[in-house]
Amino acid sequence: MVQNHRREDHETGGENKEKRPKFFINDHVNILIEILERLDGRSLCVAASVCRLWCTIASNDSLWENLCFRHVSPPPSSVRSVVLALGGYKRLYTGCVRPVRSRLGRVRRASWARDEVQLSLSLFCVDYYERLGGSNSNGRLVEKSSPSSLMFLCKPVNV
Amino acid sequence: MVLYDSATIGGSCSGSSSSSSSSKPPPLQQRQQTQQDIDGFLAGAGYRVRSSELRKVAQRLERLETAMVNSPADLSQLASDTIHYNPSDLASWVDSLLSELTQPPTCPSEFIMDPVSNQTVVSDAWTTAEPHMPQVHQNISYEQQSLNNQLTVVPAMEEDSGIRLVHMLMTCAECVQRGDFSLATSCLEDMQGLLTRVNTVCGIGKVAGHFIDALSRRIFQGIGGGSVNGGSAYENELLYHHFYEACPYLKFAHFTANQAILEAFDGHDCVHVVDFNLMHGLQWPALIQALALRPGGPPLLRLTGIGPPSPDGRDSLREIGLRLAELARSVNVRFAFRGVAASRLEDVKPWMLQVNPKESVAVNSIMQLHRLLGSDPNRNSPIETVLSWIRSLNPKIMTVVEQEANHNQPGFLDRFTEALHYYSTMFDSLDACTVQPNKALAEIYIQREIANVVSCEGSARVERHEPLSKWRTRLSGAGFRPLHLGSNAYKQASMLLTLFSAEGYSVEENDGCLTLGWHSRPLIAASAWQAVSDGTADFPA
Repeated sequence: MVQNHRREDHETGGENKEKRPKFFINDHVNILIEILERLDGRSLCVAASVCRLWCTIASNDSLWENLCFRHVSPPPSSVRSVVLALGGYKRLYTGCVRPVRSRLGRVRRASWARDEVQLSLSLFCVDYYERLGGSNSNGRLVEKSSPSSLMFLCKPVNV
Repeated sequence: MVLYDSATIGGSCSGSSSSSSSSKPPPLQQRQQTQQDIDGFLAGAGYRVRSSELRKVAQRLERLETAMVNSPADLSQLASDTIHYNPSDLASWVDSLLSELTQPPTCPSEFIMDPVSNQTVVSDAWTTAEPHMPQVHQNISYEQQSLNNQLTVVPAMEEDSGIRLVHMLMTCAECVQRGDFSLATSCLEDMQGLLTRVNTVCGIGKVAGHFIDALSRRIFQGIGGGSVNGGSAYENELLYHHFYEACPYLKFAHFTANQAILEAFDGHDCVHVVDFNLMHGLQWPALIQALALRPGGPPLLRLTGIGPPSPDGRDSLREIGLRLAELARSVNVRFAFRGVAASRLEDVKPWMLQVNPKESVAVNSIMQLHRLLGSDPNRNSPIETVLSWIRSLNPKIMTVVEQEANHNQPGFLDRFTEALHYYSTMFDSLDACTVQPNKALAEIYIQREIANVVSCEGSARVERHEPLSKWRTRLSGAGFRPLHLGSNAYKQASMLLTLFSAEGYSVEENDGCLTLGWHSRPLIAASAWQAVSDGTADFPA
């Protein structure tokens, strides 16, 4: 009796195997990218901790570009070269856009979306400039310990 | 008791002139002289107090009362120790009681009365008490008790002490204006004593501490202001940077000016910005980035930065210029930098700026023009000289940001009062920003301004702030007309302020100018100007 069952299982298992091919999302990277493009910032960071492939994809700057300009219609064209020169979209998002958006979320008006981005870009540029100072330090202690001008964005707001 | 040296008293009693210095007078004569000094009314009650000392004794009695209210636990000790004191000699009795109450036996007295360190009594007792002897332990625990009592009573007494401090500051300033330095000195001592009972970590105590420092500097070191203005350029830059981080005033100034300059440069391909105080050049990255992204592409940008000459051969202006150039190169903006080293703005001549007639010029002055308002009868008024050569450059726009305060009045007391209000507001706003872990350097920056306004005169006093209305008159009279800062600037400023975690900041529009203030008291004002063309625009060669 038991033997018959086993044979049946084998057969049915084999048939199932032929009918349904296994689907690994990691085999279909373009689908993965499409999905990750629609995530919010926090989820994207969580996704980056899943496995090495996801980490590589999530650190791709174009995903973060999407995040930064999702609410701004149409994203300015020449911005990309500037942002890449200043440190990339991921840094722009985590350093400037996300804190600015969350802070302004309380008093946000619909027309401010574009201005938010511009303000974030300006702050990002100042931050890049200060980082430049750090790398060019001539051994002066002040450059290494100089506080970032974005520090006022880092702490949470006491509402 | 009779051995009080009569020379130490302010000389108000004619009877106590220095007759007893050389020879030993007969006791009867001396007793008669001292009896003339002693207040008759109190003598009837059994107390011997010199009339000249009445005021001091009254103050000390007040202090004693405050101390007794603050530390009721000490009273029982006092009650059992009266054997040491002779109450009929009221002055010394009160003094000894006071010293018993306010001076814990193990703490050196300098710490208690030291206004410069601005430490409360509590923190000093913990850090300086060294209980290595067993019998001292009891004293320490006693101190702890009395200090705890002081702490609990402080919030109730704090407001009173704060108001008293302000009154005493005004009194002291009035004495200084009158020239009565002895009274001012005793006022200072009283204030320093009162400071130990007030929380000097925040609030009125901290501001009062700075003003007391400035007043004592004025009284004891004179109005030359050597140590106040003697900070090296490196120190000044560091303090400025921390002030930039800690509160939004400078950020507001930079962003508003940049927006105005950006709008003025719209459509121009060759632009030149003159910055009257380059510091670390923190204003310019944002402008470079905005120019890089403007529709139509970036112009050729030239920046001329004026700053103090740097000692020891380091060319800090050039270093900043190189940094800015690297940034501009990263974002594909054609950029050229020139540094002009001058210790005073009036030493700069227009030919040093090398303005090309074909380019559009913007002049940017962040809190620099007020330094030119000191008038020296030997020279031409520096502000007029500078304004006239600015006008000769025919700039597309001149952005002026200045403190919104009236600190250039001729009368010392008016200036002092105004400064007290202004800097109290500014310190309030700084206290509310809880973001910065270390605001101390920003406070030192403000403290230097206070010291300059209060303790310096003449050419040493450079912080001659004037309100927006006066600047309007002055600039209109010098041939400039105002440009309205648009709604974009206002929107940007409002957004910037919302990012700061403190809720009290407010941006207001004042007839085309923007002011940033704390709880509706404007503290800094930004405006834009353009030279009125009179048909004979001439450019320096």
